[in-house]
Amino acid sequence: MTELLQNLIDGLGRGSIYALLALGVAVIFGVMHLLNFAHGELITVSGYAAMWALTSGVSWWLAVPLIIVVSIATSLVIERVAFSRVRGASDFTLLLTSFGVHFVVQAIFLLYVSASVKNFPRPGWVSNTYSIGSLKVEWFDTVVILVTLITLAAVTYLLQRTMFGLSLRAAAADFDTARLMGVNSNNVIRGAFALSGLLAGIAGVFWLMRAGQTQPSAGIDPMLKGVLAALIGGLGSLRGAVLGGFVLGLAEVVLRSQLPDSIASLTEGVVFALIALLFIFRPGGLITVAHAERV
Amino acid sequence: MEKVRDEIDKRVLIVNRSLPNNATWARDHRANGTHNQGDMFMGSHRDSRTRFRIFALMFSIALIAAACGSDAAETGGGESSGGGGGDGAGLDIDAILAADLDNCEEAPTGDPIRVGMAMDFSDVVGFVDIPGSQLNPFVAEKINCTGGINGQPVEVRVAEVGDDAALAAQDLLDWGAHFLVGPPFADFALPILQTTDGEVPMFVAASTEPTLADAEINSFLVTFDDFGMAEAAAQWAWDEGITRAIVFTEGEGIPYTGVNPDAFMAKFTELGGEVVSVQTYVWAADTDFSAQVNEIAGLSENNEIVFSAALAFQVTALRGQLEGQGLDGLTYIGTDAMDATGIQVEDNNEGIAHTPHTSISAGDRIDTLLADYEAANGEALESRSFMALYVDSMFLGIQGILDCGCTDGPGIGEAVANISGFQGLSGEITYAGTNGIPNKDVPINRIVDGEDVLVSTISG
Repeated sequence: MTELLQNLIDGLGRGSIYALLALGVAVIFGVMHLLNFAHGELITVSGYAAMWALTSGVSWWLAVPLIIVVSIATSLVIERVAFSRVRGASDFTLLLTSFGVHFVVQAIFLLYVSASVKNFPRPGWVSNTYSIGSLKVEWFDTVVILVTLITLAAVTYLLQRTMFGLSLRAAAADFDTARLMGVNSNNVIRGAFALSGLLAGIAGVFWLMRAGQTQPSAGIDPMLKGVLAALIGGLGSLRGAVLGGFVLGLAEVVLRSQLPDSIASLTEGVVFALIALLFIFRPGGLITVAHAERV
Repeated sequence: MEKVRDEIDKRVLIVNRSLPNNATWARDHRANGTHNQGDMFMGSHRDSRTRFRIFALMFSIALIAAACGSDAAETGGGESSGGGGGDGAGLDIDAILAADLDNCEEAPTGDPIRVGMAMDFSDVVGFVDIPGSQLNPFVAEKINCTGGINGQPVEVRVAEVGDDAALAAQDLLDWGAHFLVGPPFADFALPILQTTDGEVPMFVAASTEPTLADAEINSFLVTFDDFGMAEAAAQWAWDEGITRAIVFTEGEGIPYTGVNPDAFMAKFTELGGEVVSVQTYVWAADTDFSAQVNEIAGLSENNEIVFSAALAFQVTALRGQLEGQGLDGLTYIGTDAMDATGIQVEDNNEGIAHTPHTSISAGDRIDTLLADYEAANGEALESRSFMALYVDSMFLGIQGILDCGCTDGPGIGEAVANISGFQGLSGEITYAGTNGIPNKDVPINRIVDGEDVLVSTISG
């Protein structure tokens, strides 16, 4: 029982990071119908920025805002350089463009930085724990869950209570009509990419704190987790993305601990099989969005 | 042990690459209209002329890229001076390494000895193949600076395998390579071996993959294999008085990430030890081991050896989480992957042991060579202990040529297969009586007071 509770807490911690990543994916999909496979590159770029800063003696306190700022800036640059050129194109073209961005960013670091893993120090408290009865809870999980909840509350406020949020939601519901109603498409799209970058930046902070390294392909894993979580939750649904993140995180941790030893190495495969099952019964994900278009 | 080896040999080994290694970005067409017209979501008429221009431009770029891609870096030839004596007829490694490139002897003028390097520059193994392909041309310069090999210059050509290892190998064969130095993983090494078809020897420089070695087809490892490495780790743990083990694996029989743990467990239990927990993880990806740590916390006696083939940052992440659960009495040992990914510079690395390919000490041959390279090129190579394997690959091929007195591939291969007691930069290498996996001692290094030091050597 103790181990199960421990795993649930760990799963929520992991799921929180996935939720932030998925929310970033969902924001872009809602506005552009773009399933952004370049989303993980925001963490790749911020990872290298963090590496340079941390190995130069900069503390994590300063590295945290740096990671977030670099992530937002990278997101905006990618939008300007790549996606703004294909805005009117088909979903498939957008999808291919996002793959292209993913490979180009990876190749840039491979060619001009290094093929090697680049290490940097993790914050000292990442693995520290505190006790609740027989449970030993990581401070890291606690902080991640709290920050995620605060971030989600702030994003909810932004989306529900501000003109930008209204524009974003309107654009997500029906972009053409929103534009006819006077919504500035450039501002909405750039705002969406900035918000997506902010969410990836916050997720990236925790991802990088845990990883303690970066490499040219560092963005693949967070990208896959974010996209998967968004799909589980229901592509196009912001609430679904958050739900999908938590479900994915919990599934990974709980399954790894509960599966018999003989098939424990297939945990990832079992997770994918369960996702496939989910799509058989709920093709639109956990929360179906009428206008979402599956790609 | 033999049972495990046989089982592995029976398997068809496929190493999945996580990534393609040539970045391509197909930007198939632009949306028309300018950004501030406000209709970028509506306008989709394509200007066929613009599309044609873009297509023509991209086609031209592709042609240029293809042309550049077929150009292989080539060095060698020229320079001057004599060698002779030492480790084999005409190959004096110490004299070669001592060559002063600013003060060379007369340039060798004989037919060149051609060394082909089919290298993988992707992020999967580029961390060793890139510096390896930088160092060997430098060593060739040194050889030529000492007058070459019996008056023959050494030329090195590097061909990146890209997405087509067979094509890269064919390029090198067409050039006239006398032997090849190949990439470490089977997905590229096997197509190269199919291309060479045993006609030219290949040294799989940085590989510990046992299935890649086969003296019958002139394919040779330059270092110990996974079994040698993992068994040495088990022996060291046992010698340290540790009788319980926790092992992390990707799954039984999986090349490298599963084979090393398999071999460790077989040897450790053979010695009398007990494997108390086998945990799974995703190699090169997982840094959150919460589920595994929770399980280990329930069964550990805080005195086990923790073995895995994980990367350095994974081992330190795992260690941090285990220590967070109060398990601070565990001992950690890993494979050459730890060295490859910088265990020396990780935080929280004190006491962690690993099996490097060369335990470098200040002023030894490889240390001096790497310092020479840095002085000559203005920057250090990114990898250190793996570099001796690349240089040894070249020296072993040359030794084969000298031993057989021939330049035909099968003849060189046969001579290499009979090499015994070769004093390479990475240690003593013997192929005679093996199937291409050299008998080599396995160094055990450990981080002690922040320094990566040799603490034991397990006989091969």
